[in-house]
Amino acid sequence: MEKQMENSNPVYKNKSYGQYREMLYSYDENGNFQKSVSYHGEPDRVVLEQAWDLFNERAEEAKQKVLAGKVSPIAYYMEKILADPMGLSMMAGVSLWKVKLHCKPFFFKRLSDRTLTQYAEAFNISMEQLKNFEHLTGK
Amino acid sequence: MDSKSLMINYTHRQAGHCESGATSNLYNFYGYKMSEPMAFGIGTGIYFSYLPFIKLMFAPMMSFRNLPNTVFRRSANYLGVDATVIKKFSNVKDSMDALDRNLEKGIPTGVQVGVFNLTFFPPEYRQHYNMHNMVVFGKEGDLYHISDTVMEHPQTLTYDDLVRVRWAKGAFAPKGKMYWINQMPKELDIKKGVELGIKKSVYEMTKVPFWLIGIKGMKVMGRDIKKWPKKHGNQKAAFYLGQILRMAEDFGTGGAGFRYIYGAFLKESGQKFENAVLLDAADLMGRTANKWREFTYIGARNCKNRSSQPEEDYNTLGDMMLEIAGMEEQVFKKIEKVKI
Repeated sequence: MEKQMENSNPVYKNKSYGQYREMLYSYDENGNFQKSVSYHGEPDRVVLEQAWDLFNERAEEAKQKVLAGKVSPIAYYMEKILADPMGLSMMAGVSLWKVKLHCKPFFFKRLSDRTLTQYAEAFNISMEQLKNFEHLTGK
Repeated sequence: MDSKSLMINYTHRQAGHCESGATSNLYNFYGYKMSEPMAFGIGTGIYFSYLPFIKLMFAPMMSFRNLPNTVFRRSANYLGVDATVIKKFSNVKDSMDALDRNLEKGIPTGVQVGVFNLTFFPPEYRQHYNMHNMVVFGKEGDLYHISDTVMEHPQTLTYDDLVRVRWAKGAFAPKGKMYWINQMPKELDIKKGVELGIKKSVYEMTKVPFWLIGIKGMKVMGRDIKKWPKKHGNQKAAFYLGQILRMAEDFGTGGAGFRYIYGAFLKESGQKFENAVLLDAADLMGRTANKWREFTYIGARNCKNRSSQPEEDYNTLGDMMLEIAGMEEQVFKKIEKVKI
């Protein structure tokens, strides 16, 4: 448990991480199906950690790219909510080819307020936050 | 928004799977004792599909369960229960008003939600998964009381949070889907329900004429596992393998991708109707489920050291998957022509 706390991924720092008990079934040698309530087993923890580490890595990578000016903040927030362009286009209601264009800074700067609001709603943040990316991360 | 409190005397029980748990709790509320495996079996919850061309969370999609709402709808159908399912609403206000009306009448109502914005859910599970089910059984001012069978205790959600999860966007968007039981018949014909449920499950697992669904899909996946390290490299292969394990063990499956629950259903109905074939099949299903769990333990070793050389050979894992598929095929062959 303590090992997870050292991990830089924000999910592990959440207070309720790993505090949840699930119900699991099992089959014993006598031919009975048993129910038990317990914390995650070892394999569950490993595969969950694997997934969250990947999501974190992707978000971190996107962040660096945004700061370098290669992609627009939309690409970062998209990774942050664990979506791919297809998923984001469904969530924001913008068509797929437009989402792909808006990931480029050139097109992002030209976005109307209406489209920005659509994106902000999908990301569950305010429009100002979406616009002022550098201000937020440049601490 | 009125401040009066509406609470229905609804008993929350934790269950392995969200939808069959909600269904069995609803039946219990209306005075019929039904266990979770029974609801799962009659509602044909068991399923397998492998869709490598769709990527869910950056890995091939596979599903161990039926489409959302199947368990509730089919079990109500097969048992002759008068139930209502509203598939979608045209706007948010309508959906919440319909829920409020139901609560005023004293009807606990099931809703389909997405888990990404579900505030009480454990953070490690909050991914885009729009097929979760829970039952709303009370309202106090702005707070709704929720019985989520995956959690240990009943939870609460505010109006805005409930709207956000009921109208989650993306694949399989719930669009405010809700369902409830209107009336129970005096006597439930469990025998007929079990018979119909088994028949449908056998069809879905072995006879669907599509090569990625049911046992055939498992065999395709077994063969694909062997190709992953060469095709995608070790790291990606480990992540894809992790996806199978995540789907099989987590997300409220009760372990081993629902196979334990289905085995428990076979055993319970076998004991109820004193049928030797069903008991035999239950034993085999239990052993298959144990094999699934073994697969999880072995596969997790590969996921642990994902960048280095894999500890277990992917060929062995693929063979193991093929063996599991063969065992499951036997189970469904056994119960195919069962006479209860």
